[in-house]
Amino acid sequence: MKKIVSIDIGSTWTKGGLFVLADKNLKLEKRLAVPTTQNNLVRGFSQALTDLLRKDENTPLKELVGAAEIYFSSSAKGGLRIAAIGLVPDLTLQLARLAAMSAGGKVMASFAFSLTRNDLATLEKLQPDILLFSGGTDGGNSQYILENARKLAGSALTCPVVYAGNRAVAEEVVELLNNKEVIVTENLMPEVGQVNLEPAREKIRDIFLKRIVSGRGLAEIVELFGSQPRPTPLAVFELVSAIPVHQPGWSDLAAIDIGGATTDFYSNTESYLETDTVVLKGIREPRVKRTVEGDLGMRVSAQSLLDSGWPYLEERLQELGLGAESLKAYVDRISRDLDYLPGSEEEGLFDRLLAETCVFYSALRHIGGWKETYTPQGRVYVQTGKDLRRVKAVIGSGGFLSAATTAQIMRHPLLKLKTYGQERKLLPEKPEFYADRQYLFSLLGNLVEKYPAEATALAVASLEKLNDEE
Amino acid sequence: MQPENLSNREPEFKNMEKDTIILGVIGADCHSVGNKILELFFTAEGFKVVNLGVMVSQQEFINAAIETNAKAILVSSLYGHGEIDCQGFRDLCLEKGLDRILLYVGGNLVVGKTPFEIVEEKFKKMGFDRVFPPDVDLKKAAELLKQDIKARFGSDSHGPRNDDQAGQPEKSSPETDAGTSKARNPKAG
Repeated sequence: MKKIVSIDIGSTWTKGGLFVLADKNLKLEKRLAVPTTQNNLVRGFSQALTDLLRKDENTPLKELVGAAEIYFSSSAKGGLRIAAIGLVPDLTLQLARLAAMSAGGKVMASFAFSLTRNDLATLEKLQPDILLFSGGTDGGNSQYILENARKLAGSALTCPVVYAGNRAVAEEVVELLNNKEVIVTENLMPEVGQVNLEPAREKIRDIFLKRIVSGRGLAEIVELFGSQPRPTPLAVFELVSAIPVHQPGWSDLAAIDIGGATTDFYSNTESYLETDTVVLKGIREPRVKRTVEGDLGMRVSAQSLLDSGWPYLEERLQELGLGAESLKAYVDRISRDLDYLPGSEEEGLFDRLLAETCVFYSALRHIGGWKETYTPQGRVYVQTGKDLRRVKAVIGSGGFLSAATTAQIMRHPLLKLKTYGQERKLLPEKPEFYADRQYLFSLLGNLVEKYPAEATALAVASLEKLNDEE
Repeated sequence: MQPENLSNREPEFKNMEKDTIILGVIGADCHSVGNKILELFFTAEGFKVVNLGVMVSQQEFINAAIETNAKAILVSSLYGHGEIDCQGFRDLCLEKGLDRILLYVGGNLVVGKTPFEIVEEKFKKMGFDRVFPPDVDLKKAAELLKQDIKARFGSDSHGPRNDDQAGQPEKSSPETDAGTSKARNPKAG
């Protein structure tokens, strides 16, 4: 029997779980959450750890070494802030955005073609954690790349630069950017249409470990317990990646994680099925994909959700006979008081509408579509983006969806998407909905690398199937 | 930090020194057999071929050409709507900064039995450098392509560094002006 602790240091809460592993069977023993102290992340960490191991709160961390295997993740002040540079918006820039998001980052800004003076000013003001710099196939375009490298060299940008563009000019890019820290990796798109996100994701993760986590006390934890932290969204990404591999019957799934600041949408399913009547345009997206929406969230981003999500909200308010003004007043209130919980039935309904809106727009942006075209050879569908029709399980996670009592919170907005816009959205055709009731996804994500079969088994077993009744 | 050791990738580098050409069937045209043959043929002729397949839009041709620093775009059209699909192609190239790229077009470009000379003139007016009938000898087409690349990009046209045709949308090279291309152009096919 082995004791395993997994801790997730979030921006407001540090969550922890104590697991025991016996005969390849992982079980949750205890789960808790303590407030995070931003300037010293170790305090929350050791509070969670001592509590989980039933030790005195003041036990020095040193004495806990060996008491359990320890894994942890951190969302590092609301996540990795990444700026992306690509060449053509539909090709390398799109891939740079996907790579950043699937590494657990949040894309703060993205730029195509030549950087303008304005773009540089935006970058300098933003001071992202990482700049992901791509463009050109291997042996392809170099002029834009070198021009942008020159401009970046002259900028006041201080973050590390991950170069994942045309390999033929990698050395020159390093020379031009000799006043910055440059990490060279494989091209995101070595050939047109060839998608190669993994190497850049690895480098982003390395930087996360080295630069972003140290400094706030986490180095001590790494040294004591010998395990590296990962970005929280990456932990979930790894869990979503591993479930179809290890759990029969879970070959195609999606997960939606609605938080206070962002909404994350994960999918694990083949993105395109080649047939005579469906032609794919643009890049073929990866089987495992994460998108993160910084304007969709339940609290910190509630105001921007109101702006981005107004068309959906307006329609729903009308359907339910609720007033727009009272919703706006509620959003004002929760934007000021981030820990506010609904105090009336109407406020509860508002929270639910906000969650539905997060589902609607994150799905709209994540999922691809078909446009019907008539050709002399007959009817053909032109597909752009990712096909989620074969997804059988849609999992809700994050504070709000973990507590969902009905599948309708997710089903309803997805149904609305069916009739939205010009193209046919490639939505899950017969989805079942689940809630990550004990909010274990990020904790189990930390264990996936070491215990893939066991962690995915517990993840699946801990899900609660949602019905359509309220 | 140092870039990865590149020396053990020699074969790929050789590939990087080939001239890249973009291939595809334009518009709502699904004819894929000829497209595959062209890909095999031009690859065997020593080109680095980026094949976009069927139902390719002007924008997709251009996106691929920008990312790969291509020397030429070879447009196929077999269903008779080529004239509409190709309208404005050269202008869009110039707009996007591809001011030196070679544009070739071939196939059943118009419906009916229009004499080829008329078809050719039409497409040259649109800015295509060469126009080919459906029964073109591919060997000849490949020779012309090699000559044209040499003439337009110079003998030092190979290698990844020389991609000055991109990025300067406002500077249009007179060479590529649709009106003058005819003079340099021996009868195709």
